[in-house]
Amino acid sequence: MGMISRRQFGGGLLAAAAGLDFASRPGTVFAPRTARAEDRLAASEVILTWYRLVLELVRHTPTYSPPVASRAFAYLGVTGWEALAATQPGLVSLAGQLNGLTASPAPDATRACDETAMLNAALAAAVGHFFSNTGPTGQRAIRKMTARLTARVAKGADPQAVAAGIAHGETVADHILTWSMTDGGAVVENMGFPLTYALSREPGRWTPTSLVQQQQMPLLPGWGNNRSFATPSGKTCGLPPPPDYSESPGSAFYREAEEVRDAVKTLTPEQRAIARFWSDDPMLSPTPPGHWLSIAMQIAERDRLDAVQIFEVLARLGITLADAFIGCWDAKYRYDLIRPITYIRKVMDPGFEPILNTPPFPEYPSGHSTQSGAAEVVLTQVFGETFSFDDATHVADGIAPRHYASFRAAAEEAGISRLYGGIHFRSAIDRGLEQGRCIGAYAARLTMRG
Amino acid sequence: MAMRRTLVLFSVLAVSAGAARAEDGPLVPHFIDETRQAGIDSTYTGEWEYMVGGGVAAFDCNGDGFDDLLLPGGAVPAKFYQNRSSHGSPLSFEQSRSGLELDAVTGAYPLDIDGDGHLDVVLLRSGENVAMRGLGGCRFERANKAWGFEGGDGWSTALAATWEKGASFPTIAIGNYIDRYEDLHPWGSCTDNWLHRPAADGTRRFGPPMPLKPSYCPLSMLFTDWNRSGTPALRVSNDREYYKGGEEQLWHVEPGRDPALYTHQEGWKTLKIWGMGIASTDLNGDGFPEYFLTSMADNKLQTLAKVDPEGTPQPVYRDVALAKGVTAHRPYTGGETRPSTAWHAQFADVNNDGRADLFVAKGNVSKMPDFALKDPNNLLLQKGDGTFLESGDKAGVASMLSGRGAALVDLNLDGLLDLVVVNQSGPAELWRNATERAGHFVEIRLSQDGANRDAVGSWIEIRRGDTVQRREVTVGGGHASGISGWHHFGLGDATSADIRILWPDGGTGDWQAIKADGFYSAIKGKDGAADRIEAWTSTPTR
Repeated sequence: MGMISRRQFGGGLLAAAAGLDFASRPGTVFAPRTARAEDRLAASEVILTWYRLVLELVRHTPTYSPPVASRAFAYLGVTGWEALAATQPGLVSLAGQLNGLTASPAPDATRACDETAMLNAALAAAVGHFFSNTGPTGQRAIRKMTARLTARVAKGADPQAVAAGIAHGETVADHILTWSMTDGGAVVENMGFPLTYALSREPGRWTPTSLVQQQQMPLLPGWGNNRSFATPSGKTCGLPPPPDYSESPGSAFYREAEEVRDAVKTLTPEQRAIARFWSDDPMLSPTPPGHWLSIAMQIAERDRLDAVQIFEVLARLGITLADAFIGCWDAKYRYDLIRPITYIRKVMDPGFEPILNTPPFPEYPSGHSTQSGAAEVVLTQVFGETFSFDDATHVADGIAPRHYASFRAAAEEAGISRLYGGIHFRSAIDRGLEQGRCIGAYAARLTMRG
Repeated sequence: MAMRRTLVLFSVLAVSAGAARAEDGPLVPHFIDETRQAGIDSTYTGEWEYMVGGGVAAFDCNGDGFDDLLLPGGAVPAKFYQNRSSHGSPLSFEQSRSGLELDAVTGAYPLDIDGDGHLDVVLLRSGENVAMRGLGGCRFERANKAWGFEGGDGWSTALAATWEKGASFPTIAIGNYIDRYEDLHPWGSCTDNWLHRPAADGTRRFGPPMPLKPSYCPLSMLFTDWNRSGTPALRVSNDREYYKGGEEQLWHVEPGRDPALYTHQEGWKTLKIWGMGIASTDLNGDGFPEYFLTSMADNKLQTLAKVDPEGTPQPVYRDVALAKGVTAHRPYTGGETRPSTAWHAQFADVNNDGRADLFVAKGNVSKMPDFALKDPNNLLLQKGDGTFLESGDKAGVASMLSGRGAALVDLNLDGLLDLVVVNQSGPAELWRNATERAGHFVEIRLSQDGANRDAVGSWIEIRRGDTVQRREVTVGGGHASGISGWHHFGLGDATSADIRILWPDGGTGDWQAIKADGFYSAIKGKDGAADRIEAWTSTPTR
């Protein structure tokens, strides 16, 4: 597949629907809406409108820890792509390329199918399913979004084509939802924290780092066993063990801890900003995989990508982010490594206070690093090695945008941010990025164009 | 009925205080559901705009000593119930017209705004807030215009009030929630909180409200003298579900100055929770309040963690909820394993053993599948070692309805705290505390001349031997629920205690001895005279 060509920047705003001006509040990532209510929505607008809601739903659905969020992103992306692939010549279905995915039922070839209505219906069904456990405000927003977008995409369109599009979109969504139910991640209880779990008592193993009762057990210990998407399994792209655990000064493990301790003690304003920028805490942000999705969406809006281009990016990205979390979680529970806060407080400095909250699961490798390495590979393949961009994901939270010269630069910054934040050792970051790049290559190799 | 009540109930309520504690832990109280028999029939109802709120107001508006109740209806008019109970009897209420029966009410806080001796009530609403002037005899009239109180058009969910030094009118902070007109994208749409301060010209009315920026969708606010400086600060507990870039807040609110947030440079640490309710009391006896903050899943119990070498407290708190056993993160009965959703919280001594216990109202926001649908209220009894023991089910208050606001108050003046809980889309519930062999108690009311007649901002101290219980007198906190009336203290085995009042103007009364199991008015002495602690009696007029 060739790279998506880069269009002129700053060329204007996606025309979107009046009455859907939810992104117009000062401080939001996306540009103010300018279109008139009577304008018919373009398919690209429909996609980005739904995905903006998805990023909010991820933030406001307590079950959506990063692994769970990545799973939803994968299925949403595949839903959109499979709907398009069944109706557009030259596009290749992912059936047979993703584990367990079969071909979607074909649309009625005798009827014209409205693409915008199809994608809207597919996304409405998929969002409704994957966020069925969001709260009353999210449910209300899904209902209203569905109603308004459905009305808008029908305006001025051939009713029969719209009906055919809706029927096909819903059929594809249903097909993907059925597939999703058997991956091992469909049911998440107690926000992902097991009610019982045998913690290891061996030195160097993970122990709870939080005063939150729920987090006395580690998050999603079985997630690495889930069915992966493009990689053969969670064990694919395994990584070498971390340095041997040791409390001896001079040991490799001790030195890595010293590096974290010293970094936290001597943080520069820039390092602090980096740590905050990539913190991406669940329930306070779109999560780390949502951050990468946000980057892709900002580029899609800025460069006015069309529906096929958008879903090519969102499907590959969603797939690789989900695979990254499955692979990362497999390794995390294989190595079950202690967090810096536990080690440093025990061995070096009882008063050690990292600036980020330590996540409630084992340390090695760094999840943010693994998924950023994977995202880097996919986005670089799509957009190119020297594709620069601004990332304003957190502007509504008062965090200034940052500029990156390439996806690799962003991924490496995301990785090192965890050391500045005091929650990961160097090995978890370096090996995590490597693991992610290995995983990302699988999604990058998917055939999506004929 | 016009019987004389003498509320020094030494003989009536004499109890075997030695039995106040079971051998293996605190005495588990016994609550009896008397909702229907008492004549209470009220439901807080409505759709999205009423998923939060549902605060009860408990206050005595006819001077008979018995707290009356205002129960909000959300989308339907609130209901007012006059207390017809007798001492120690089953609870009895009569619905009557008071003027408070507005619709769209989310919560209510009683306080004597104009200092006329009649409690007024501020109604928080989804729409215009309304300040209702008490006329006596449980009648109220709208006073927004007379007092210059701008009601706005927000979705109001929190209130706190104080009397700033030298002011003859209160300062009222109102917490406003989401922009309720944002239906597609309400996240990040938190509307401005307002600070209603006395008019600058000294007249007894409010000036124009001042926005408290930034505002982060609070569900509870409390003016509290966290550092015992004599000037309360404003604690704000915010719902992270809706803010962007927000956190828990503490505001400097000092006379003559614009409010200012405590900063990280001052020690304030970022905490982001689904803040829904604040309860406070001095649990560890260090003179500074602890704060219990309700949320979803784990709740927080904050204790002051830093006092500098000069003895000045820094606004740094440590979470001791896990250590004290009050995370209350998951249902403890009913078979649910999903996490809980907590709303109103209140420290109070429900078994009169001399230790503050903790009640937490629980209930799903609105069929959220990630959280328990059968979510029992908590009644956490404090043990001798300072940790807490869950007893809601054994005590009989583990309702599975969707709790919101609540009040633990002595509704039949028997020295035992009764409980009223407002439920979302379910009937309000009323329990009488019928605990046998509870400990001794005293109940105190404060009064002083001039503005702030109920002495909001005082600290009440009750001394038993080496033990001093301290209670800050506040207006605010909980979940949209206001209480004004008796300040109840359990005394355990003690048949007497010493009391003194630290008044809002900084004056400190002398210790005075009082007998247990009585009701007392503490009246601030004038012109240097000693405070008067009077056994309270009443001749009700109803």
